[in-house]
Amino acid sequence: MTIREKGYYNWEGQLSRSPFPWLPIFFNGIKMVFKQKYSKMLFGLALSPFFIFLGAIYVSTRPELRMFTRMVKMLQDEALFFKEFATNGFTFFMLIILILSFGAELISGDIRFKSFPLYFSRPLDRKDYLFGKFSIIMFYFLLFTLVPGILLYIFKFIFTGKLSIQPFTILGIIFVPLLCTFYIAAITLLLSSFSSNSKYVKIMMFLIYFISDAIANILFQIFKTDYFHILSMKSLIQQVGSFLFNTNPQYDYPAWLSLAVIALTSLGACTLLYKRIGKLEAQIESGN
Amino acid sequence: MEKIIELKNINFSYAKSAKTIDNVSLNIGQGVFGLLGPNGAGKTTLMKILLGFLTPGSGTGMVLGYDITTNRKMVRERIGYMPESDCLMPGMDAVALTAYLGQLSGMPKQEAMKRAHEVLFYVGLEESRYRKVEEYSTGMKQRLKLAQALVHDPKLLFLDEPTSGMDPNGRKEMLELIRDIASKESMNIIISSHLLPDIEYTCRHVIIMNKGQIIHEQDVGIVGLDQFNRFEIKFQGDTQAFIDRLKSMNWTVDIDERGLCTVLLPKDQSPRHLFHYALESNAQIRHFRQSKTTLEDTFVSAIGALNDN
Repeated sequence: MTIREKGYYNWEGQLSRSPFPWLPIFFNGIKMVFKQKYSKMLFGLALSPFFIFLGAIYVSTRPELRMFTRMVKMLQDEALFFKEFATNGFTFFMLIILILSFGAELISGDIRFKSFPLYFSRPLDRKDYLFGKFSIIMFYFLLFTLVPGILLYIFKFIFTGKLSIQPFTILGIIFVPLLCTFYIAAITLLLSSFSSNSKYVKIMMFLIYFISDAIANILFQIFKTDYFHILSMKSLIQQVGSFLFNTNPQYDYPAWLSLAVIALTSLGACTLLYKRIGKLEAQIESGN
Repeated sequence: MEKIIELKNINFSYAKSAKTIDNVSLNIGQGVFGLLGPNGAGKTTLMKILLGFLTPGSGTGMVLGYDITTNRKMVRERIGYMPESDCLMPGMDAVALTAYLGQLSGMPKQEAMKRAHEVLFYVGLEESRYRKVEEYSTGMKQRLKLAQALVHDPKLLFLDEPTSGMDPNGRKEMLELIRDIASKESMNIIISSHLLPDIEYTCRHVIIMNKGQIIHEQDVGIVGLDQFNRFEIKFQGDTQAFIDRLKSMNWTVDIDERGLCTVLLPKDQSPRHLFHYALESNAQIRHFRQSKTTLEDTFVSAIGALNDN
């Protein structure tokens, strides 16, 4: 007798209340991103700075290769080395490419395919939904920034054979990727919640990430003041890296200002996003 | 009877518009309830309020004993919702989608996967359960939406236009599924529809809405009015004896204030019996007409009465 002939029957298990109800969104998101076309190639490219910096660490610890250490300034200063790794332009560029390939779809896709009723008829609230979406971006970004940073630090101990810890470096290795990831994730998700068409979202992201840098440079060239670099996401991240790694600031304006701008922008984006999801939840279906 | 839904003086209006839900008070017990009304009556808005998607402007409401404004998660854990719109998650097959939504409801991963297969078999998607959901036809999407609403075996099931966009065969199968679920009596169902035959076929009770108000509540009586023929009769003579004779056959008999008698006759019984019993009881049948549906009359008169006012 087939199941259909037997008719409907009840499930005898027990539903559990997880303290992290967003975890299925996280795991599903990780899987879906990994299954995307070209994702492995992009991951490989995003990890390439790690191997270059790993080689650099090896070079800096070998006495016979001291000539290279003398030529490259960052090899002489541990904090500067890790700051360069955490804020290097190529990693930032790859993060943006990753954002364009999967971040744009995260909420925009749910709007386009009207997935909200499926989420919000479950024991989830706006906060859980957003935690789930944030966690997907955070996972992949931290995988290419925080994890390689920690691994590089471990490799440094292995290559030198000495255990010496600089608190500012540790602080920088952990908090620069966390802060930058949260900042980029908040802006990405906010933009993603504005349109059901992911192409528009990608264009908006492209304009914000790349054009902001171009505008900041143009204004800097005209007015010759570094304060315009506040407009550039890339410059903000580099400046906050200098602040947290306690190295010389990249630009001639107070480094704490970049931290304040990033924190305020992230919080503002999160607040707007929370309200936006509330509206989308209420507009789950149009008409009566 | 245990109250499944209890609403008191619920009001709701979208920004700057007239009241969409106007002072609705409602008690719904166990069983299958139909929410009927023309487009714009407020059915979907009322469902959204019950699901906690919208917060009422005033009034209180409980679903399965939990407050709809302060205990939304508890409510959502115990309900299943089949939305009207074509909602899906692209890039996933039906099994993955149903299991994923089961997990979001709080099911363990393995259990959710096992149950996803079961409910997809149950709704008739066994052959296509590994196909990407974006490749599904409208009918298949409707079945998938029912499967995802059933996966965690909710106590209360909300079905919003469950047969929308389905071909006649698919529609019949969907209604059969709903009746089968209802027959187990472990799940309470609320069906919102503007299709009277669907409501009549599946529901025990009907609530008619118009202009944001509940304008009529009625027991449809027996699930599956299609198993009966309904006749309207007017007669003279020994009225009481005739009615008693009909009731002795366990047939449903109802007389309105105008003296119009309505009899529900099982389909396997011939209407000739009515004439035979009338003769036996010394009653003369003066008017005899087979009525198409009870609900249609009720619906038209309820909507009409409100419009007249």
